[in-house]
Amino acid sequence: MFWTSKDIDEFLKQKEFIDTALVPLVILEGKDLGIKQSASGAEFLMSLTNFIEQQFKGRIVLTSPITYTASMSKEDIITAIYDELVAAGFKYIFFITSDHEWNRFTTNYDMIWLPSIPLGDMDEKVKQSVLSDQLRQVIPVLSSKWSKQ
Amino acid sequence: MSNNRVTRRQFLNYTLTGVGGFMAAGMLMPMARFAVDPILQKKAGGDFVPTDKKASELSDTPVKVDFTFEQVDAWYKSKVTNTAWVYKDGDKIIALSPVCKHLGCTVNWDGNKDFKNEFYCPCHGGRYEKNGKNVAGTPPLGPLDEFEVKVKDGLLLIGKTRANTLV
Ligand code: FES
Repeated sequence: MFWTSKDIDEFLKQKEFIDTALVPLVILEGKDLGIKQSASGAEFLMSLTNFIEQQFKGRIVLTSPITYTASMSKEDIITAIYDELVAAGFKYIFFITSDHEWNRFTTNYDMIWLPSIPLGDMDEKVKQSVLSDQLRQVIPVLSSKWSKQ
Repeated sequence: MSNNRVTRRQFLNYTLTGVGGFMAAGMLMPMARFAVDPILQKKAGGDFVPTDKKASELSDTPVKVDFTFEQVDAWYKSKVTNTAWVYKDGDKIIALSPVCKHLGCTVNWDGNKDFKNEFYCPCHGGRYEKNGKNVAGTPPLGPLDEFEVKVKDGLLLIGKTRANTLV
């Protein structure tokens, strides 16, 4: 499900089945090299999370991406978002990012970290196979959590 | 010289008409868009989409066939690749939609080793027989949709979905 009124209506009706939130964490940088990298990283994460949403539409709600800058407090961001999603009734909350600065949160949160792959100039078919490969990395993380109940 | 001077009244007239027109446009445009949009919108999969699957390569075991088209999803507009599960039933080519009839996850052929020769949904364990018939007692309440198919120059083309005709 997407973070849209229609899909959220569905979530509200089917919380028993749609029990997982997926939150993309995307860094925004404005200077020099950073700007291109942050754009390309966001592009990758958006494509991948859309693909994940397609595969797991009936169980996962993909939230709108959380965009932050290096100067913002990661603690504040993640605790605030987490608390809101708990209040919404999500049983599982996964964060997904290409920014390794989030690595220190892996003990307290379900953090999926993937290296960013530049998809910009890729042909649609190549892109699809790259995304499928990445999805294969993500599925075990999801299913191991889900199977624990 | 003085003929070319814009008087205060003229100036106000021009600007106010301008602003008013702008405001009217601002109000009317979205309305017009709401009215026209459904007609302009191109339905995803409305036409046949080519794949690079050769019809001669198909067998009686379902295989994944990808096809790509433009789609707008929420704030994100993109080329979307969809999948069909395609197999042959005698001479007939069958293409099933992978979208689970429970809540829309993507099902996989032989997706769970405990349930051989079935489609399996990883989200809540929905199961379907090869022709798309949902297995009673699992969450889905209907069979998988079917795609219209065509073969052109030996290649498979995938069209619109429709209700399953095999079950
Ligand atoms: S979405 Fe397939 S079983 Fe629930």
